[in-house]
Parts: sequence; structure tokens; C-alpha cells
Amino acid sequence: MNPKPFLQLDRVIHEKGRLPIMSLLAAAPELSFTDLRDTLKMTDGNLSMHIKTLQEAGFISVTKSFRQQRPLTTCALTPAGRRAFAEYIDLLEQIVRQAKENK
Amino acid sequence: MQSLAMQTDWASENLQVIRTLMERSAVYRRALAPVMGAIGLTGLAAAGLAVVAGINTGGAFAGYWMTVAAFCLAEAFLLVRRQALKEQELFWSPPTRRVTQALGPSLFCGLVAGLAGLRMNPDMAWLLPAVWMVLYGCAMHSAGFFMPRGFKLFGWGFIVAGCFWMRAATPSLTSANWAMGLFFGGAHAAYGLYLYFTEKHGNAT
Repeated sequence: MNPKPFLQLDRVIHEKGRLPIMSLLAAAPELSFTDLRDTLKMTDGNLSMHIKTLQEAGFISVTKSFRQQRPLTTCALTPAGRRAFAEYIDLLEQIVRQAKENK
Repeated sequence: MQSLAMQTDWASENLQVIRTLMERSAVYRRALAPVMGAIGLTGLAAAGLAVVAGINTGGAFAGYWMTVAAFCLAEAFLLVRRQALKEQELFWSPPTRRVTQALGPSLFCGLVAGLAGLRMNPDMAWLLPAVWMVLYGCAMHSAGFFMPRGFKLFGWGFIVAGCFWMRAATPSLTSANWAMGLFFGGAHAAYGLYLYFTEKHGNAT
């Protein structure tokens, strides 16, 4: 089996805490910080840290606004993030496909 | 070699996790408490009105409650649309589409049963609430796959209540009117109240 696809996996997305964030955002136009935190059962600090890393990589955009006089933080995938996520999935599928072919 | 096999297992598991999370993310997220509350109060009021007005023919019973159902659907539509406008979100979003598709078949069967009820004599029409309850329960259960947890259980409640009513009901249209009010109106009002106190109000961080 060719180990190349595995080595090509994007390390920013590949991390255990960040992959679920990318997966959730890939299926919704945008999600609030609270939705992400509740769905993934993460602490505020942990989620903030992963969001910051993804934001610095240019994969997600973060918008801060107010709703009913309360602060609201929403996250969404950027076009670059969507592309990187699609490539990540392609590589995973390649790994699985190669394994099936080698059986 | 073993590490390559592990990579493959890990890749398959990751794909499965991604799929599950993407499905969870696409769950219908609109606040349901106002919708349930409005439908519940309408149902209770309609039951009282039906008893006062003395609806006692099969056709009148079916026609009256189908009109109430149409009114409730319009109410739900307007409330959901209002929420979407307020949140500046798409009304006909993919989750809304999926929920509507899931509700469709059972609600359509309910409509057919109601239309058949228009020609029914009162000796049979008292069974309509049970049929409607079971079909409505099936609709809620189907929609529950794309909605927050608890909705499928709500659907099961209607299915069980419908089966119970089939067995326990007395052949009278007055009690059938009260059953509609109690099971549809009362259950929606209670669920609306429960959701009001448990749903998140706003998504502030």
C-alpha cells in the first residue's frame, strides 16, 4: 500500500479536536460558538483554541455580533477551508480504496 | 504492514465520524416552542368550540377538524417563516426540506382518511381521532430523524395514544371532539411549554 496519501493529510484539519469542527461546519452555512460547543461537548477554552488555529490557517471565518443585546460568535468555513476539507476527505477515501484493492 | 492496516481502519472510522457529524450539523434548529404552543392552544380552543357548536355528524366532524389542521399548518408556516426572517436565514433550507419530506406521506394519509370521513356516518367517525393520532405520530417520528432528540418520542406518544383510543373510545362524537382537544391540543401545548423552558434562547457565547 502506498503510504503517500496518509502523509499528505493536512495536519491542521487532522487533529482530533479540529476535524469535528470542520465536519460540522461543512454541513451548515454557519454555526454559533454555542452550537459547536454543545454538539462537540468541548470546553469554551478548548473550542476557542481550535477555532483560533483554524482561523489562522484561513479555514474558517469568525464573526462577532450582537443578538438581543447578547454577544454572538458565529463560525463558517471559508472557500479555502471547504477546499482543504474536500481534499482531506478525498485522501481518506484513497486510503480506504487502496486497502480494498490490496486485499 | 500492521501500521498500514491501522491507518486504513482509522481512515474508515474517521470517514464514518465525519458523516455522522455532518448529519448532526444539518439537524433542523428552529425554535419549536412557539409553534407547538400555538398549535396546542388552537387545538384546545377548537375542541371547546366543537363541543359548544354541537358538531355531531361524521362529515361535519371531519370537515371541522381538517379545517383546524389547515389553520394549524398555516400558523406553523408563518411562525417558522417569521423566525427565519428574524434570524436572516433561508426559510426553505435543506433541514426544512428534509423535515417536510418526512412529514409528507403520513400527513397525506391523514388527509385521505379525513376526506373519507366526510362521507362517514357518526357510528364510524368517532374512530377518526385514533387514525389521525397514529398517522400524526408516524409523521412526527419520521421528522424526528432530522430534528432534536425527543421528537421521535413525541411521535411515539401519539401512536400509543391513538392505539389506546381505538380500544378505549366510546362511540360518541362529543368524546371524539374532546379527544382531539386533549390529545392534539393538550399534548402540543404541554410539549410547547416543555420546550419553552428547555430550548436555548439565543446563541450567545
